[in-house]
Amino acid sequence: MRLRSAHKLRALAIAPSIARTASILAAALRQLQPVCLFGSLRGLWGRSLCLLLLPWLAVACAAQPASLPPPPADVSPAPLTVAAAADLQFAFTEIAALFEARTGQPVTLVFGSTGQLAQQIENGAPFDLLAAANIAFVEALRDQGLVFADSVALYAEGRIVLAVNRESGVAATSLDDLTNPMIQRIALANPEHAPYGMAAKEALTRAGVWAAVEPKLVYGENVRQALQFIQTGDAQVGIVALSVADVPEITWTLIDGDLHTPLRQALAVVASSTQPDAARAFAAFINGPEGRPIMQRYGFVLPGELEE
Amino acid sequence: MFDANWAPLRLSLQVTLVATLLVLITGVPLAWLLARKRFPGRDAVGAIAMLPLVLPPTVLGYYLLVTLGAQSPLGRWLAAVGFPLVFTWRGAVIAAAIASFPLMVESVRTGLEGVDPRLEGVARTLGRSEWAIFWRVTLPLAWRSIVAGTALTFARALGDFGATLMVAGNIPGRTQTMSLYIYDLVQANRQGEANQMVLLITVLAVTLLVVARRLNRRVV
Repeated sequence: MRLRSAHKLRALAIAPSIARTASILAAALRQLQPVCLFGSLRGLWGRSLCLLLLPWLAVACAAQPASLPPPPADVSPAPLTVAAAADLQFAFTEIAALFEARTGQPVTLVFGSTGQLAQQIENGAPFDLLAAANIAFVEALRDQGLVFADSVALYAEGRIVLAVNRESGVAATSLDDLTNPMIQRIALANPEHAPYGMAAKEALTRAGVWAAVEPKLVYGENVRQALQFIQTGDAQVGIVALSVADVPEITWTLIDGDLHTPLRQALAVVASSTQPDAARAFAAFINGPEGRPIMQRYGFVLPGELEE
Repeated sequence: MFDANWAPLRLSLQVTLVATLLVLITGVPLAWLLARKRFPGRDAVGAIAMLPLVLPPTVLGYYLLVTLGAQSPLGRWLAAVGFPLVFTWRGAVIAAAIASFPLMVESVRTGLEGVDPRLEGVARTLGRSEWAIFWRVTLPLAWRSIVAGTALTFARALGDFGATLMVAGNIPGRTQTMSLYIYDLVQANRQGEANQMVLLITVLAVTLLVVARRLNRRVV
């Protein structure tokens, strides 16, 4: 499996990384010796040559497959690159792993805010599939011919929650509580380009507290970063996606869905994809009998359950 | 135990290596021109060469995205001939090279200016060509500054974040360098892995800086 989340390594594992660095440097020095001997014959020139070569040799050694475990990229077939909205962090990591187990097709997930991912597609990013948190971005790309129109499909509807760091010492179960002066920092995804940030802003506005809380807001690049601000306690509270809210550091309360425009999440195959068939297969998998239960478990409402 | 993700480190080293090489072959001649030649617009060229040092990385990244991206004629041409730069590791090389270029130029220019022009004059009276003078007199006397510049360039290129993020994106296994990987790990609250990578890159950067400083001190 070539997902980054597969690399579950904790602080303990720092020691081997030092050992590995040392072995790389040692290998570099071994390769360097003949050059230095040669250099000593030629005085300054040799020495300068020798020193100039040092970084390259170090790199050459490090880059040799023999001195490092084979890169995951060497696995065939070529991995599918899926640009996914940050709220899909946990659900898609699981779905992609299952998809690879079933089909042998590895999937590389790139998480970001939907707006940023869409902007990257406009600039030619080599993505195969876009799973957006807001159908509007997918429709805009479709209108520019950048995604296959027939591949656009809803796959989930998202919800937002009010999240509180367990150790923050503050309590907040409704948006009104956010005006409490004890609460000094409120994390949101950036409402300029992140759909979950837009929904959060909308909910705060409709609840009538936007003006009061605005000075306390801190924006994450995407909903995942907003979550991280709350997890570390740098923001005591925040508004994040329900799908990422089940982490040990926080408690959460669902925010009334009527307070914001529904987060209709749609996906589409990118027109410039080099593996559109595999991309369509993954899209079908997400919306299929194996993907749907996973999406459901992460709190998404699924197509078919949506009220039209 | 070796379950760490080494792809970003490998990619970072690859990108940094190519970027440093690129800066070495373009920066040293420019530094020589700035140190030894008088020509119109010399000050302007020197200032432009320094620009990446003072401009925000996002501005650099934006310029590159606008000139090399899929929406620009150059970007479309590059894609058509099968050599796209944006959102590839080559884009990361360009970003890292431009960001670190001033460090090479400044270091080497200072070094070359420290070489007594009379020594070059002597070689000239002995009938050496300008090319031979550069290789046999000037460069050997300024070699420390070049190595120091290379070390600084390498360190800066290794750490580039902003411009790389904008031009190359952040695609695991393809354009995700160490700095971008660390950013992702922190965002995902995976502190154990982040600690490991941060430690590794800090040790590397400190080592390079020590090398550069030691060499620079002896330049004068």
